[in-house]
Amino acid sequence: MTGTWTLIRLILRRDRVLLPVWIAITALLPASVASATVGLYPDQAARDAFAAASMGNPAQRAMRGVIYEANVGELTAWTLGSSGALIGGLISILLVIRHTRVEEETGRRELLSSGVVGRHAPLVAALTVVLVANLLLGVLSVPGLVAAGLPAGSSLLFGLSAAGAGWAFAAVGALAAQVTASSGTARGIAIAAGGLLFAVRSVGDAGEAAWAAWLSPFGWVRLTRPYAGDRWWVLGLIVVFVAVVAVAAFALSTRRDLAGGLVPARRGPASGTLGSGLGLAGRLHRGTLAGFAIGFGLLGALLGVAARGLDSQLDTSQFQALAETVGAPGARISEVFFTFVMYVLSQLVAAAALLSALRARAEEAAGRADLLLATPVGRMRWALGHLVFAAAGPALLLGVLGATAGLAYEGDAVRVTGATLAYLPAVWVMVGVATLLFGVLPRWAGAVSWSALGLILLVDLLAEFKLVTGFVVELSPFVHEPALLLGDAVSPVASLLGLAVIAGALTTAGLVFLSRRDLAPTA
Amino acid sequence: MSAVVRVDGLVKSFGRFKALDGLDLTVKAGEVHGFLGPNGAGKSTTIRVLLGQMRADGGRVELLGGDPWRDAVELHRRLAYVPGDVTLWPSLTGGEVIDLLGRVRGGLDPKRRAELLERFELDPRKKCRTYSKGNRQKVALVAAFASDVELLVLDEPTSGLDPLMEAVFNECVLREKRRGRTALLSSHILSEVETLCDRVTIIRAGRTAESGSLDDLRHLTRTSVTAQLIGSAPGLAVLPGVHDLTVDGDLLRCQVDGDALTAVLAELAGAGVRALTTQPPTLEELFLRHYERASR
Repeated sequence: MTGTWTLIRLILRRDRVLLPVWIAITALLPASVASATVGLYPDQAARDAFAAASMGNPAQRAMRGVIYEANVGELTAWTLGSSGALIGGLISILLVIRHTRVEEETGRRELLSSGVVGRHAPLVAALTVVLVANLLLGVLSVPGLVAAGLPAGSSLLFGLSAAGAGWAFAAVGALAAQVTASSGTARGIAIAAGGLLFAVRSVGDAGEAAWAAWLSPFGWVRLTRPYAGDRWWVLGLIVVFVAVVAVAAFALSTRRDLAGGLVPARRGPASGTLGSGLGLAGRLHRGTLAGFAIGFGLLGALLGVAARGLDSQLDTSQFQALAETVGAPGARISEVFFTFVMYVLSQLVAAAALLSALRARAEEAAGRADLLLATPVGRMRWALGHLVFAAAGPALLLGVLGATAGLAYEGDAVRVTGATLAYLPAVWVMVGVATLLFGVLPRWAGAVSWSALGLILLVDLLAEFKLVTGFVVELSPFVHEPALLLGDAVSPVASLLGLAVIAGALTTAGLVFLSRRDLAPTA
Repeated sequence: MSAVVRVDGLVKSFGRFKALDGLDLTVKAGEVHGFLGPNGAGKSTTIRVLLGQMRADGGRVELLGGDPWRDAVELHRRLAYVPGDVTLWPSLTGGEVIDLLGRVRGGLDPKRRAELLERFELDPRKKCRTYSKGNRQKVALVAAFASDVELLVLDEPTSGLDPLMEAVFNECVLREKRRGRTALLSSHILSEVETLCDRVTIIRAGRTAESGSLDDLRHLTRTSVTAQLIGSAPGLAVLPGVHDLTVDGDLLRCQVDGDALTAVLAELAGAGVRALTTQPPTLEELFLRHYERASR
């Protein structure tokens, strides 16, 4: 444990901007959603109607879970519980891996470990920072909630539940970081585990199998029931989960070498067949893409199965009212469900596409591009090689998602696939944004692209509560996607073409800037 | 002889910092040219400009008769580059990387590849993730030496190699030289440059400090003389070009400027000599003296 405090200070120094911004935004969000809820649903009748309509919508149940009571606090907790856990969990995973496996992989840990640093110090330091950060963002949200007129005890429980979700995934990240020598694979494993746990809760809350929510940290966040019964003991469940997973991570870390994985690195072929920039790009992208394709395939199948029983289960008057508000009176429940879920999943596909689009920048930053670009592989050919996968990758993922969802639903793969593929141009716009940044501000491309996607998610959430309106909402490319399954009246071709043109223009501009600038490795 | 690299007055700034401030460098065809300077002098920046990875802010740069920025792809067919800090694709094996780099350069000689792998004692089946710095460097070196190119650009290529492997590296460079190839070898290891290079360019703070053959540069410097005398040589003390003179009994030591050697030897001969050793300056001394002079 020697050296833990030094490492903690190093982490705080490196993330001195990220940590405060993350904590501040997450701590402020609950109070603003609570006051917006008061404004939008001022009396009990309005809140009851909202709760009934939401519970009548299977997509809402799948995304956010069950509303236990129609009061302001509970509605706030319901709105933020699941998505807060999703975002906080993702950030926690990425942070823990960033300060453990990435450090080992880049060889920086070696430098420190040769000094007076205990074997477990790096993992202890990373976990300490992330756990304390989550605790802070939970506790700091309490004063705002109390100021919005909510009871203090329940508000604290709500804050701690949010912290608990972050804790759970920090532990998952720590475990994944021990398994492989590659930080990319570690991230993949941890995020896939998170996706699976989310899907388990979704299926449980959307359908009959309510017990399934008890199997997932995403479920526990809501099962503490702040403002609706305050079950404090569920927090104990989270603590036990975190302790077990963290102990497992420490146990694994004592069994392996520094920079080694639990799974030993296999030997490979002595000679290779790669002969071009495109071939290399294919090799670098294929693993990630295949992993995502399998993940989205499973997710699609799960959604298809979940959608099957919905038409008969939930054919209520509340639902018909909801269907009318989205402009599709008489639409089938399952189709409204798909439309809602696809909207959210398309943003997940956009995240996968951003990974691909930023791959070239990662190559440049690591200095690997230096070596390749000193050969007859030109800069444009190199960048285009990676872009091919950033463009075709999301098409594959959306296609797989739609096909499996459609097949599992009622064998109607074509129509559902068409509807998911309609999100492709919006995803391409995000790829275009990343490529433009890659050309103009290479050192900031990653941070700004991810922040842009994060902001779009945040704006979507705030727009729902009318906290932002007008052109700010329109800035999100996803807002302009037609809902094909609901027979959107406006011609879909115009908006799709418009988005595709924007994506093309952004990408072209990025490539032009790239061809004119210096290479910028971080070393 | 035609020049393979010709750089005149190269300027490159990063914001306010001038990394290169009027650098001159000429590499003739068929020579091994040492590019010497301390860390941060601008060696790697110069090489990045030569490789078309950075654009010059001023001055003239010509590589293999072309413009390294505009004609990058064409020129890269004719050169191989080994960076000082080699980073490779973690999921590929060393053998795959060697073949990839070879193929994009238009193929490599399989016999030569096998021979080099053996000489450098490199296991090509290991994933690059598991290679040490020295082994990553070997991957890039094997790929470079096994490909058929006119120019080798080597940026501190031995910084991760042990002395045994350094010797293998030296042999490989000399072999390429015998085959008529040109090499630009940047280094801050002076002995390496001394054994391999025909000519050197010394840079400091982004400027060329000195350029020429090793003999040319030695001419500027002092030879150290140690003599055991029979008589005494009082004239030495007042001879111009003699420095740091010490006399300890019959043992005499001094440093002599190149153009004062004749006069010193005449003086010593007059006194009678029992034993005499003279040592040419090592590049080390040359280097240190150069900086002493510049910082004064």
